[in-house]
Amino acid sequence: MNTLTLYFRREWQLMFRNTSSLIQPLTFFIIIALLFPFSLPAENALLQRIGGGVIWVSAVLATLLSLESMFHSDYHDGTLEQMLIHPRSLPLAMLGKALAHWTATGLVLSLFSPVLCLTFNIPSDQIWVLFAGLLLGTPSLTLIGAIGAALTVTLRRGGVLIAIIILPLYIPILIFGAGMLTQATQGLDVTSQLYALAAILTLALTLSPFAIAGALRVTIN
Amino acid sequence: MNPFTSIWTFLSTTYHRLGSPREFYRISRYVTPVFGFLFLTLSALGAYFGLFVAPADYQQGDAFRILFVHVPVAWMSLFVYVVMAVAGAIGLIWRMKMAFVVTICSAPIGAAFTALALLTGSIWGKPIWGTYWVWDARLTSELILLFLYFGIMAVYYAFEERKTAEKAAALLSVVGVVIVPIIHYSVEWWSSLHQGVTVFAEGGPKMPPSMLLPLAFMAVGFMFFYGYALFLTMRNRVLINERKSKWVRALAMGESI
Repeated sequence: MNTLTLYFRREWQLMFRNTSSLIQPLTFFIIIALLFPFSLPAENALLQRIGGGVIWVSAVLATLLSLESMFHSDYHDGTLEQMLIHPRSLPLAMLGKALAHWTATGLVLSLFSPVLCLTFNIPSDQIWVLFAGLLLGTPSLTLIGAIGAALTVTLRRGGVLIAIIILPLYIPILIFGAGMLTQATQGLDVTSQLYALAAILTLALTLSPFAIAGALRVTIN
Repeated sequence: MNPFTSIWTFLSTTYHRLGSPREFYRISRYVTPVFGFLFLTLSALGAYFGLFVAPADYQQGDAFRILFVHVPVAWMSLFVYVVMAVAGAIGLIWRMKMAFVVTICSAPIGAAFTALALLTGSIWGKPIWGTYWVWDARLTSELILLFLYFGIMAVYYAFEERKTAEKAAALLSVVGVVIVPIIHYSVEWWSSLHQGVTVFAEGGPKMPPSMLLPLAFMAVGFMFFYGYALFLTMRNRVLINERKSKWVRALAMGESI
């Protein structure tokens, strides 16, 4: 079995034996998104306008929350050190790990987002736009975020530090993702934003595994 | 010997000598005051030409004169980031001690340049745009740059072991340099109110020489300020990093090196 599928499957097995890791990010995502209607005037027109942005911000925060635990248990039981000294390609292994992590967070969030859109009264044609954007954007969020997670894995209080170093890097994805919905409300074409998100995803897929591997080699010694 | 070979030999020996903390400390003692002097002279000239010689702008009046600080400082905020990331990459690839010192010492200076660019920009924005802040492309990407600098400093100070901290900060600065252009263009397409390219525009600068001259003086002056501030902080950092070595102990005992 090649390195990518091996690590992907290993991560999947670990996640399904501990289902809380699957449920927590989704629950967090829904709760954050639903805080906004409570804290803003309950006007349908306003919620409809800001709904897309709110869902994107919630997805970013939910991904960020799940990142802290990404390398945590592997680091503490020594598995991560074994991965580092193993002759298998570390970047490929990390790509497999990050993709598996994405299927449990970003993919689940994207699949659930149409339901949240309904609570914000977002029209059905825009639900598709948001769904496609999340599907293209969330893997980049996980891959870029994993660099931060790898840099902070040995620190006792890494959570806040991940947020500080990673959130500025998330801004382009947020701009294109949420901007797509603004365009769609005005009846404009959204393909350019889709292409931009796809370009960022391509860069993240090709470059970030090396950065994650490099970060782990730096912090674990 | 062929002149190119001798130039190359000179450059590579200087590079390798500067790679040694002790040699850096010895040489920088003479270079740092020169940078400081050049900075003071050039920025004093720039300030004189900018405040007294350059004519008032036909639309903005005297308010535009803050751009003689704002524009060079904004250029420097990006320049310092590139220097920091290149030094970080050199440190990670060739395991060069001094390159990490450049990265770590550049971060606070770059953050200060960025903060100053934002500050002078908003002071200028109040009379001209009628507001201190707008969510404009240039302003937003400059603000994000400030947070990237903060992130690099936060990573460096989070680790107890210095070598890990240096490498982690260098890695983050290299990752950032890939993303800075993306951030720049994403916010550019998102919205823009900021003035477009003026100095390096196609077909020459769209500015009269009387305004361009003080700008050039200030820009080069700030470049020397960066060198001056960088070398001062690097000298401190080298002493702290090498505090257990013989030459620093000898220095502390009052001996010369």
